[in-house]
Amino acid sequence: MPLTIISLLKQVPLPSEMRMGEDGLMDRTKAKSIINIDCSYALEAGLQIKKEHANAKLIVCSMGPPSFEESLKKAIAMGYDEAYLLSDRKLGGSDTYATGLALSTMLKHLGFAKGLNENFIIVAGRQTSDGDTAHVPSQVSENLDIAQATFVETAILKDNYIQAKRIIEGGYQLISLGLPCTLSFTPTGISPRRANLKGVIKAKNTNITIFSIDDINLSHKNVGLSGSPTIVSKVTSIKSQRAEIIMTNGHNQKDIISSFIQNIQKGKNILEEKQKKEPKIKKRPDDFEVIDFRKGAKGILTWAEVVNQQISRPSLEVLTPARYLANKLDKDTKVITLLIGEDIEHLATTLIEHGSDEVIVVDDKKLKEYQILPFASIFEKIIKERNPEIALFAATTAGRELAPRIGVKVKGGVTADCTELEIGEYINKKEKIIYSPILESKRPTYGESKLATILGFVCPQISTARAGTFKVPTQDKQRKGTIIIYKPRLSKEDFQSKIIQTVIGESGLQSLFEADIIVSGGRGTTKDNMELVKQLVDALQKQNINAQWASSRPIVDEGIAPYARQIGQTGKTVRPKIYIAIGISGAVQHIAGMKESETIIAINHNAKEAIFSNADFGIIGEYEDIIPELISQVNNGFTFGLENK
Amino acid sequence: MDYKNKINDNIISTDVLIIGGGPAGLSTAISLANKFKKKKLNKRIILLEKGVNIGSHILSGAVIRPNVFKELLNTSEYNDLPFDCKVTKDKILKLNEYSSMSLPFHPPYMSNDGNYIASLGEICKYLSTLAIKKGVEIYSSFAADSILYKDNKVIGVKTKDTGVNHNGEKQKNFQEGSSVIANITILAEGSRGSLTKELIKKLNLDSNKEAQIYSLGIKELWQMPKDSVDEGSVIHTFGYPLKDKEEFGGGFIYGLKNDKLAIGLAVGLDYADPSFDIHAAMQIWKTHPDIKKLLNGGKLLEFGAKTLPEGGYNSIPKYYDHNVLIVGDSAGFLSTARLKGIHLAVRSGICAADASIKALEKNDTSNDSLKYYEELINNSFIYKELYPTRNFRAVMKDGMIVGGFKTAIQLLTNGACMFIPNKKDDYKHTLKSKNFKNSNKKTFKERFINKLDFDKILTFDKVTSVYFSNTTHDEVQVPHLHIKDNNKFQDENIEQYNLSCESFCPAEVYELHTNMNGEKRLRLHFENCVHCKTCDIKEPNSAITWTTPYGGDGPDYNYM
Repeated sequence: MPLTIISLLKQVPLPSEMRMGEDGLMDRTKAKSIINIDCSYALEAGLQIKKEHANAKLIVCSMGPPSFEESLKKAIAMGYDEAYLLSDRKLGGSDTYATGLALSTMLKHLGFAKGLNENFIIVAGRQTSDGDTAHVPSQVSENLDIAQATFVETAILKDNYIQAKRIIEGGYQLISLGLPCTLSFTPTGISPRRANLKGVIKAKNTNITIFSIDDINLSHKNVGLSGSPTIVSKVTSIKSQRAEIIMTNGHNQKDIISSFIQNIQKGKNILEEKQKKEPKIKKRPDDFEVIDFRKGAKGILTWAEVVNQQISRPSLEVLTPARYLANKLDKDTKVITLLIGEDIEHLATTLIEHGSDEVIVVDDKKLKEYQILPFASIFEKIIKERNPEIALFAATTAGRELAPRIGVKVKGGVTADCTELEIGEYINKKEKIIYSPILESKRPTYGESKLATILGFVCPQISTARAGTFKVPTQDKQRKGTIIIYKPRLSKEDFQSKIIQTVIGESGLQSLFEADIIVSGGRGTTKDNMELVKQLVDALQKQNINAQWASSRPIVDEGIAPYARQIGQTGKTVRPKIYIAIGISGAVQHIAGMKESETIIAINHNAKEAIFSNADFGIIGEYEDIIPELISQVNNGFTFGLENK
Repeated sequence: MDYKNKINDNIISTDVLIIGGGPAGLSTAISLANKFKKKKLNKRIILLEKGVNIGSHILSGAVIRPNVFKELLNTSEYNDLPFDCKVTKDKILKLNEYSSMSLPFHPPYMSNDGNYIASLGEICKYLSTLAIKKGVEIYSSFAADSILYKDNKVIGVKTKDTGVNHNGEKQKNFQEGSSVIANITILAEGSRGSLTKELIKKLNLDSNKEAQIYSLGIKELWQMPKDSVDEGSVIHTFGYPLKDKEEFGGGFIYGLKNDKLAIGLAVGLDYADPSFDIHAAMQIWKTHPDIKKLLNGGKLLEFGAKTLPEGGYNSIPKYYDHNVLIVGDSAGFLSTARLKGIHLAVRSGICAADASIKALEKNDTSNDSLKYYEELINNSFIYKELYPTRNFRAVMKDGMIVGGFKTAIQLLTNGACMFIPNKKDDYKHTLKSKNFKNSNKKTFKERFINKLDFDKILTFDKVTSVYFSNTTHDEVQVPHLHIKDNNKFQDENIEQYNLSCESFCPAEVYELHTNMNGEKRLRLHFENCVHCKTCDIKEPNSAITWTTPYGGDGPDYNYM
């Protein structure tokens, strides 16, 4: 059979027009729609593979209301051959787990599965702008039992193997995968093409096949709310907590910078502390039945990700909420950490000193580097043996693909990218049932404007925690715990993908988290490829200031900065003493990654940019005028009020 | 450039190709489709529109004379036309800096009895749904980049290549444009069409004609407090902030339903001050007590800008050639005396459709065959309206009083009059900064020194205005504004005219930057462009050429 490239696509509201219905679910009826950006990169990636494999058939699949036809037609116009839409009212309210199941059922129905036509590649977007979970590609892959690579930038197909360049923290990885496989793409590779007129005319005359769930033999129990292991229980608004900005502008860069320095010396505005309201205590109805759905599941499982023979910082951070939750649950609730790698047994003690009660060590030279298939299968085995009630992962590139794949294995949902984790209870007034205790996973959503509380009713309740949000627990050298050596049986299937090369650049993950000053460049600094930003950092370093440079997403998208230096919702969350945003417009996604910084300084030529409503000091001026002046002031000893070390 | 105008393998063939989905193009399409159906001819009509949707690039006042639509549409189609409201009041104000005077009478041609106020964008969206129902293929987001010729005869157009970087180098997502080959190509690009300009030049269609001259109109749509807008009220202003004899133009305030106001200021581009700023003039106009009062408590909804061809009859080029017709504003069918062009655009579309059908039926689309289009135009009201007022705009160079007097004479003589000033291209009126200063006239900034701070409530800076036009451009493309000769531009346009495009461009596309060494440089922000094309018209030495960016780029007007 000839090769088929299957693109999974989601239509999303224009981010600027996102609204929420009263039920806390997305109201898609009013907003203008586009193809989700990451998905459009996946579409292009499919077309690029086709360039070299002229016989390949390109099909595009989606799930959603009939209005999604518009985006499917666009895909046809770009060069796809066939389009399929799974559209059924009963699908409304599906979470990512149910979506993954529905999409993979449709693909099986179309004949793509193990044992049927296996000569296919799925190309999907990394994540969607209205969900931001990055779950579905993993879930589809697990449902189809095929290999996957997520966060892929570019992929080529040669001799029946895909070679994918996968973005990881601090660098990239080249992976080789056999067919069939799934690739999920970041919007940093080849920009999606604009359809030409001929394509649009073809699309106009192409019919889109629409399936109902009955058509693909999918039970209504497995879709919509009833098929979703997680629910959104609450959505609240997030309000900014920064005092009014002190702006500096003037006629020339010298005046501007000198009055800016005076302003810095005077200090920033401080917000008056408002008396915190006593939280309302919810009345718990007496006549409701209390259900403990854990059915004996106990303990909190975490994963210690090893990078360069070190435990990654976000994995240590996760021990903070893990410890907190364990203390809130039944007595003797243990934090169990899984540590996988080669020659890493000595790291187990570090984990115990940071809060783990028990460390399960898997030491195997084949597992030196993280790979999704064997790691997911080890987790599956551990979960079956230990039956934990909660599993927490850091929301790193690895954690974000691993958690949903494990979720499918244990038939549970996952909450992505949480910033708060709490133990609570869920009162179902309709059925007069109280589920208690339950993990409340809170995650920012709708472009960081809302905080959604997500509940899962299957154990383990799986969540990933946004890196940089929780503090690394204080190390306690006296802390004791158990270390268990575990030797799992792994099959050949688990090693079907191979890492060809891992490249970690100088831009280590660590340095950004530890910097006192981060100078971050946005679209306004592309003219000289951020040269002045880097010069400012050099100048600060010469003054013995621990300074680092970073960037906003457009810069990474343009290939000027590596992903590892990206600050924001889809990059890193940092909290330096001083954050200098240069030429950054201040998209909510970026603000999410830096708003915890002690002092924020924004430099932009457009006074209207949103960044100024999220900063303590602002300078209005051109990048190429202001920064050289600032650099010369730093050379004269100005260090933004920080002491030289 | 060579390969730009060459046919590639990516060919689409059609009987009629229409470039532009404004009132002229859509009327042509509807009229053609109706007549093809009547004659049971199975012909393909393709219409290309560069805006992201039909209506996205459409901007007009607009007060519309509705009758012509009765010729285009059947009764039920006509009845469903989405006019905003009927004109109920009509007045003209002469503004002085702090006061105003209502004209007790209407100048000839200016009466709006029986006319409707409308969003032309809405009308176009409606016409496009009719056209699609009638079988017209409409493709928006496609920019026609160049005309295809064979033996100097038009054979179609090529759409724009996409997927190139700033320097024009092909990227991995490169998509070559399609060649659309047509028996007849109809250019309906609107004011200062870029292909029309190319065609007129190549085929010398303007020989023995007067120069075409233009106005730039700035428009804003405002949401006013509930029950505060006088629906159907039409007010035109002249005078402040424009100076008689220096700047020809005036303002408009139209009361729409749902408490919206459409307001604007249009100014002729034949002024001399290189620092004159029409966008700023519009902001200053709003601060006049009479206008300010009307806008009190309101909120800006949309902003846009567009040029209007005002030369009239004598500036209309030959508007047909082998296999090609020009309709609407592209041809210059606009009545300055009435301040209206929509009804002429529609009428020219109907004429073009008739001429096309006759030509297609006898399988002869040659120049001689299509000359019939000119005959139809001359027998229509287009000629009857434009010919007697052919010198209207030219004499206005004399100011409102002498110009008005000369207009009165023309009424008696069917347009003839002595002492008609010569028309020349608008850019030739601009003086070098030094020469303007030497003429002892105040520069724009000197005239309005205390009025150039914009409060972002009533008045807006250009960048904020652009935000309200919903303008976007893909930044990965060759900037669509071409400087003809960089050295000459530096020496003259920057050093001697002090970059006058920085002043006249309503969207801050052009910025004069002085660097640390005191050197003046042009900074081009093409992504702000609202496609008004003033730079193509007004830049001294005709130094800037406006071309189409990627299809779908530009403003996305909603109710303009």
